[in-house]
Amino acid sequence: MSLPARAATLIVAFLAVVGGVIFVAFHIIGGSQPPTENFAPYAKDGAVDITLMTTPETTVSNKPDWVSYFIKNPATGQFDHTTYFAVPANTKVNVTILGYDGCTPLRNPLWGKVAGVVNDAEQVSFYNKGKTTPVQSVSTFDSWADCSVQHTFAIPGLGINVPVASPPTLDENNNLCETGPCVGNDDDTGNAPHAVETFSFTTPKTAGTFRWQCFVPCGGGYVDGNGGPMGTPGYMMGQMEVKA
Amino acid sequence: MAADASGTPGAVLGTPGSRRDALWLLILWIALSIIGCLLVALVLGPHLPPGRASEQAASQQTDYIVLATMATPVVIGVLLYFGWALAFWRQRPGDETDALPLHGNVRVQTTWIVSTSAIVIALAVYGTVELINPAGAGGGQGPQPVFQNGMPPAASLTSWSPNSNNILQVQVIGQQWAWTYRYPQFGGFETTQLALPVNQPVQFNVTSLDVIHSFWAYTLGVKADANPGVNDVAYATPKTVGDFQVRCDELCGIWHGSMYDTGQVMSDSDFMAWTHATAVKMASVTKILPPYALTYDPTTIPAGKINQELGLTSAGGGFYNPADPEQP
Repeated sequence: MSLPARAATLIVAFLAVVGGVIFVAFHIIGGSQPPTENFAPYAKDGAVDITLMTTPETTVSNKPDWVSYFIKNPATGQFDHTTYFAVPANTKVNVTILGYDGCTPLRNPLWGKVAGVVNDAEQVSFYNKGKTTPVQSVSTFDSWADCSVQHTFAIPGLGINVPVASPPTLDENNNLCETGPCVGNDDDTGNAPHAVETFSFTTPKTAGTFRWQCFVPCGGGYVDGNGGPMGTPGYMMGQMEVKA
Repeated sequence: MAADASGTPGAVLGTPGSRRDALWLLILWIALSIIGCLLVALVLGPHLPPGRASEQAASQQTDYIVLATMATPVVIGVLLYFGWALAFWRQRPGDETDALPLHGNVRVQTTWIVSTSAIVIALAVYGTVELINPAGAGGGQGPQPVFQNGMPPAASLTSWSPNSNNILQVQVIGQQWAWTYRYPQFGGFETTQLALPVNQPVQFNVTSLDVIHSFWAYTLGVKADANPGVNDVAYATPKTVGDFQVRCDELCGIWHGSMYDTGQVMSDSDFMAWTHATAVKMASVTKILPPYALTYDPTTIPAGKINQELGLTSAGGGFYNPADPEQP
């Protein structure tokens, strides 16, 4: 083989490898990122409302036994399987979380304290069998003594940590939601026992991207419980994009 | 490596092996080395990491300056000889004669071996001394640190005041994916904020609740692995009021790259005010924390805290038991 032919072969092989890497990066890894729910157009008077849901199963995915977060699509009102959302800068975000999962004691009880949100407290009520308990303001959960936490919603970069309360133990044991998302009127789905909690925080004044995660090691079957859904976009961690 | 000193005396400049070339190389090497050493020590040196924000960091920066300055003449010598050879000793167009035969030169070889050996041995001695003073150069030393030179004893684990003969204890707890800090001498509160008093020796007790992390406050010159079930001790004495970055330096999962935060060095009075305010703020969660210990085992919840209804005895997830580590 002549020298020019060898050089051409080498260049072609090099470009093929580089092209392959780029294809994998953009079409496989990049393509797995869940869609972003954009709440920015829905902000009004310096505030925006978002609703999240936690479920013990994710029957809409190919990992039906994984726990997961869902986000309510502001346009359709349906819960989408994603953990990526966008909100405007310098805006009060009013968050509602519908927590359908059962409890798991926190590895570090520190994450049982509400932090970084208005009044460092969340408003919690519980639903079971058509009845909703009165709303309580809670600032600290003792997940070891009461097993009162199922997940957390934490944005470490903003100092935000909000434990997601779990329904009363006996209620949840008798009737956990069996679908994901938990919607509908059937006892096994939307009417299953769940916690309803609300809290608010203000986004930074400048644009940026902040990761958020759950601090309950709820990836059952994985080392330290932090694999599987804990390490997969769209399940127990995601990103909040703050738009300027 | 050097031109053959037995080459032709009085040959024109650029003749391989000539004494004149050797003399020029020597003069240039000495001149450039003096200039280079001064530039490295006085101009580049103060900008070398990790800076001088703590005694340990300052010691490390001094070490880097010493190493870089000592290496400068060697680097200049090699590059100068290489450049000289390229400029003057290259084969000229049309010159197809053989190069001069090379012979060993005991004097040159001995000089080279002795001088480089002296440099390496001297640096080994210097490095050993620097490791001891001050207090292990900021690296994690395990649960029983050997290098504690200049550090006061841990006279009390339940109280602390500035300028007392009692080192400040700060426990650093790594977890996927955040750092938390516990202050046993102020009621044992735990927080996500790291605050330190200026000019006060600090003992970091570094551990982990899950996988291996590494506590790296690089501008303080501190880096200690956070191993589950192990207390890794490192020391620092901050010298400058201001912010510093804390990072995880051990690949620990998908959010390893985001596992960083900002610590703060403050005056003694500000630090005392901060500790008291934080203790009050965190009181509701401090009382449900496990008793302060140098390590924590999440697979065991302290007796009395167990949820009887569910029979739960441990926190979520598994745990790398040091005696029987799980493998991913």
